[in-house]
Amino acid sequence: MEFDLIQNLATGFGAAATLKNLGFAFLGCLLGTLIGVLPGIGPIPTIAMLLPITFGLDPLSSLVMLAGIYYGAQYGGSTTSILVNIPGEAASIVTTIDGHEMAKQGRAGAALGVAALGSFFAGCVGTVFIAAFGPPLAAVAQQFNSPDYFSLMVLGLVTAVILAHGSVIKAVGMVLVGLLLGLVGTDVNSGLTRYTFGVSAIWDRIDFVPLVIGLFGIVEIIRNLEQTTLPRPQLRARMRELWPSRQDIASSWPAVLRGTGLGSLLGILPGGGPVLAAFASYTLEKKVAKDPTRFGKGAIEGVAGPEAANNAAAQTSFIPLLTLGLPSNAIMALMMGAMIIQGIQPGAAVMTNRPDLFWGMVASMWIGNLMLLVINLPLIGIWVRLLSVPYRLLYPAILLFCVIGIYSTNTSSAELVLCAVFAVFGYILLRFGCEPAPLVLGFILGPLMEENLRRSLVISRGDPMVFIERPISAILLATTVVVVFALIVLPQFRRTRKEAFQE
Amino acid sequence: MFRIKSPQDLGAAAVFMAIGLAGIYFGHDLTFGTAARMGPGYFPVILSWIIVAIGVIVGIKALTIEGPGIEPIQLRPILIIILAILAFGYLIDRAGLAITAVLLTVLAAFARRDVNLVEAILLGVCLAIFAVVVFVYGLSQPFSAWWGR
Repeated sequence: MEFDLIQNLATGFGAAATLKNLGFAFLGCLLGTLIGVLPGIGPIPTIAMLLPITFGLDPLSSLVMLAGIYYGAQYGGSTTSILVNIPGEAASIVTTIDGHEMAKQGRAGAALGVAALGSFFAGCVGTVFIAAFGPPLAAVAQQFNSPDYFSLMVLGLVTAVILAHGSVIKAVGMVLVGLLLGLVGTDVNSGLTRYTFGVSAIWDRIDFVPLVIGLFGIVEIIRNLEQTTLPRPQLRARMRELWPSRQDIASSWPAVLRGTGLGSLLGILPGGGPVLAAFASYTLEKKVAKDPTRFGKGAIEGVAGPEAANNAAAQTSFIPLLTLGLPSNAIMALMMGAMIIQGIQPGAAVMTNRPDLFWGMVASMWIGNLMLLVINLPLIGIWVRLLSVPYRLLYPAILLFCVIGIYSTNTSSAELVLCAVFAVFGYILLRFGCEPAPLVLGFILGPLMEENLRRSLVISRGDPMVFIERPISAILLATTVVVVFALIVLPQFRRTRKEAFQE
Repeated sequence: MFRIKSPQDLGAAAVFMAIGLAGIYFGHDLTFGTAARMGPGYFPVILSWIIVAIGVIVGIKALTIEGPGIEPIQLRPILIIILAILAFGYLIDRAGLAITAVLLTVLAAFARRDVNLVEAILLGVCLAIFAVVVFVYGLSQPFSAWWGR
């Protein structure tokens, strides 16, 4: 077993350490850091924008680059949180609380150093986590049949909804709308088109790229433009030294360990991921601290814990996607989209059929984390200077890259109309307090869910009991019921959920 | 009769119900089939019914539980940005990437109130050069840099 692990990792490093893939990993990390630093553009629209460009690459290179953007953003986000009190990225919001306070006290270097080193450590552990838990989980997944897959998706979507931001019932609605939108187009079984209204652009199905860019990228631009005063960065931090003192390290390493553990676990959960992990870690650090009043006044644990947690979670959220074929958050849905475009169905089969792809990605994450350490620490000055680029120059560029990305998917102008429709739709929904992330999860799972439901019911001749009779499916559904029950019945759980999302 | 306690929820309820009802109505022509032999209409119509039910629940919530109001919608940013996207779609096949990119940038600049036209044109030219070099020549994406090709 251990020999396997080493051999597998050797395969991975062999695949990932080619000059080309190293280049794409570097490009991904660089882009990730850039968008992590810049507020107003996050990893979701960036990955969506770049999806069409990856069509021409080989699968491993494109996944290596896209993954780099994702975890690179976690690093970049912390830099601006600490130095100028602007979280470049949602997962870094908690870092502003104590990180910026430290910067004001002249300890910016220590905060940045601890954030980067903590993230690096967590990233390494996350990578080992994937390597260790991937194969056993994939082995379990190979026992799965259609009913089990259907129940797994039910569980995945339900937990994703509960762990998501905002109202649960509206998130459920959004998942269902996403599932329905995912069914638009040609029904693979009958060959009939559904809900296309004679529009040829959606004859096949609604394309992923215009949907995601419309809902996330364009809506984000419009929202930023509505704010009359955008936050102006003020660099007040004095940087004495980049390296944390011995005392800083002594007080932050337990927090890094806790953050890594918590983040790794929360990353695997459907609906979990870096944002949740960072919030949960901050809450935990406050609870275990001897003197909780230090928090908010520059406690180094409040930087070390969440930064480690968000990076660990960014890594481990790949586990359900790569082993079960289940995306646990919107970014993983995008990665799944990227894999499907490349003709790879994510799931347990990837590991056996394309070991170079699976292990290559795992290895590239470790390499990427090392690169990020180099990109971030010495170059912090450059990243911060980027912040002084005003938004009025930034948003036309973002918009241009968005529309270029959409157009190059199919070389078709109809896709831009589709994007405009989804932008308006997403904007209206946001005004009504509905988050778009659950919709994207539903959208990508819609056709899979229908297919597995159909197969299950064909096997059982229409008897829905098949979902309870099969042990794996029964366990998954029972877990779903327990989770829903916990939410409704236990008021304490509800309160914790509410607290966890308070900024 | 009823007092709207949460305008946001009421809006969401209306959207869900509209989508659900549309799903049921337009799913009518599709064969429903039976559980053992699901027709193309089976899953979408069931989904649509659940969406309607969610809409009803959210609607009831809107009338019983206090919630936040809807933030006022500013028309300028959304209209201009949507227009810019559509203009790009219209022009890209006709005018090529270089000119379209400049026009998109200038148009997008009008999404803010204080427009600096000179700055917008300069930015547009820079972005157009960058886009043509990277996407047309660098990544050989399916664009023509100029019109008519």
